[in-house]
Amino acid sequence: MADQSMENKDSNYKTDIACELLRMRLTQAIINEHYKNKAFKVPIHLAFGHEAIAIAVSEMMSDDDRLIVSHRNIHYNMARGAQLRQLMDEYLLKPEGLAGGKQGSMNLSNPERGIPYASSILGNNFGVAVGAALAIKAKKQEAVACVVTGDGAMEEGSFYEALLMFSGQRMPSVIIIENNEWSLASTIEERRAEIDVKSLAQGTGAGYVRLTGNNVFDYIDKMQAVRSEALKDKKCIVVEVILKSLGDWRLKTDDFPDGKFINYHAGPAPTIELEDWPVIHDNEWDPLAVLSKLPQSIDLKQKAVEMKAALLGAIT
Amino acid sequence: MNYVGYINKLMREKLKQTPDTVCFGQNISTGSCLSGLTRGLPEGDGNLVVNTTNSECTLTGAGFGLLAEGVNAVFFLKQQDFLLLGIDHLVHTWNAMRAQGFKGSFTIMAIVVDNGYEGPQSCLNNLADFCSISKIPGYSFSNKEDIDAIVNDQFLEPGVRFIAVSQSLFRSEMGLFEGGGEVVDPTNHIRKYGSGDDVTIVSLNFACSQSQELFGNLQADQINSSLFNVSSMMPDSWGSIFNHAARSKRVVICDDSKSVHKQSAHLASLIKAHVEGCDVLVLDRSYQEEWSFPNADQFVIEPSSVKKWCKA
Repeated sequence: MADQSMENKDSNYKTDIACELLRMRLTQAIINEHYKNKAFKVPIHLAFGHEAIAIAVSEMMSDDDRLIVSHRNIHYNMARGAQLRQLMDEYLLKPEGLAGGKQGSMNLSNPERGIPYASSILGNNFGVAVGAALAIKAKKQEAVACVVTGDGAMEEGSFYEALLMFSGQRMPSVIIIENNEWSLASTIEERRAEIDVKSLAQGTGAGYVRLTGNNVFDYIDKMQAVRSEALKDKKCIVVEVILKSLGDWRLKTDDFPDGKFINYHAGPAPTIELEDWPVIHDNEWDPLAVLSKLPQSIDLKQKAVEMKAALLGAIT
Repeated sequence: MNYVGYINKLMREKLKQTPDTVCFGQNISTGSCLSGLTRGLPEGDGNLVVNTTNSECTLTGAGFGLLAEGVNAVFFLKQQDFLLLGIDHLVHTWNAMRAQGFKGSFTIMAIVVDNGYEGPQSCLNNLADFCSISKIPGYSFSNKEDIDAIVNDQFLEPGVRFIAVSQSLFRSEMGLFEGGGEVVDPTNHIRKYGSGDDVTIVSLNFACSQSQELFGNLQADQINSSLFNVSSMMPDSWGSIFNHAARSKRVVICDDSKSVHKQSAHLASLIKAHVEGCDVLVLDRSYQEEWSFPNADQFVIEPSSVKKWCKA
């Protein structure tokens, strides 16, 4: 775990982080190509655009911390060390896969790397995270239970139940809400009232932090501060990360001759090509685009070419 | 010592011997402590007693989270109906976890109220329904021998199980068939009482006391029976019952559960398939509109009709 702010980090560390973000993007792009070719029978929720928060959470974690994830978990599994070959084999349900080909994608956990459980059911993972936090308490460990959810899953009643349990039992914990605005095909506006997450969290005694901008280094700093505060004050902190799931496209129909906007939810992302420079949108919604605009000690484009070749070589 | 006091005593003794256990649930350390069921649960040595919020969904999930951590978890519920809010975890979370070989333990101990006057909120009395959809084993505490066996063999042991406690038996003394049962299945969950071969009586769910009363009534009329009390909701083998039925050729199945699909119907069909020339009488409860309202409903067996059937 990194234990100091990014300002004091050496350039090697920053380069490692940049390479990790690049690896996660390229790994997904390669999986996406196989997905487009119908290689997988299990449904996979890719996480283009979610890489920065996943790296920050992983960098924040100590060996004893627990991370309970949801159906969209590829980015957290990668950030916790899963390699392309292991993921491909798991999605192909091979014994060599990350979980022995027994979990596929939506339930893909990795207890040895701090991910004891992944849930395919919206809101299901909150309760398990409460159990992990109770175990930390029973074992008297200096550790944090983290649970990842989205702006859709937090509509489940179990979000509120878990928030109360975390706060009421004074258990160091972090709820990470990946707010991509969409729940499958419905935007927040199309399905519910706006939730003031800050007020909701603070109303139960929990803390609140909002992350925007997709700067991975900024996120690492802030998540490390979140962990420290959760431990020091024995409290729950809700982190709302504003992001977009990249990979959207336009579907032309008779009703929509100019193309209807289709949000990326799951399955292959048809407009993302492995041959392209892996930045998907050259704006703040793409963590790789944000990274590429920061001062670098390496040539990211050249590194992407080399890494892509190495990754492809590893699965052939 | 009464039923609830005996369960509490045995649980406390086993908890004292078992470190790293988290007991949790609503009102388990306040007020009456669930009418004494959870009074004085031991703390220390890594043991926690957590008086929780009213959050059954999350609490059910928390039990699985503790199990994954290698911790022993016990979730107490004042009413089995409340467990409906945890169904998602019982089915999906356990489905996702069961193959991972976690070493922890998760026991869900719920009180079955089954009191018509409490209306629809207490009408769910069949533990086997939960067992069926979750594929988690379940056991009922009907008498002292069941309590001894289940606390010793199941409570806090690795894996997941339900244990159902009957509220209607809470204040009863522990004399029910005490000391007379013969274990007749390999998993210790079917006990045979009596040695008569005229009729085979089978007790399911929480029908043990009514079945015992029937046993006595038949005996008073020179109809000698054997009573098989089944404490498991998913027994591995019905062989001992089939063998006895092959001799008696008459089986009375007593089932107090209120479900549409009942264990008794399943067992009756198995007996008819496996035991040639055997008559089966199922004494159960059919759905009543009254179950939706406060009423005097309770499971009652009319012994005269059974005697008549036996003599026919």
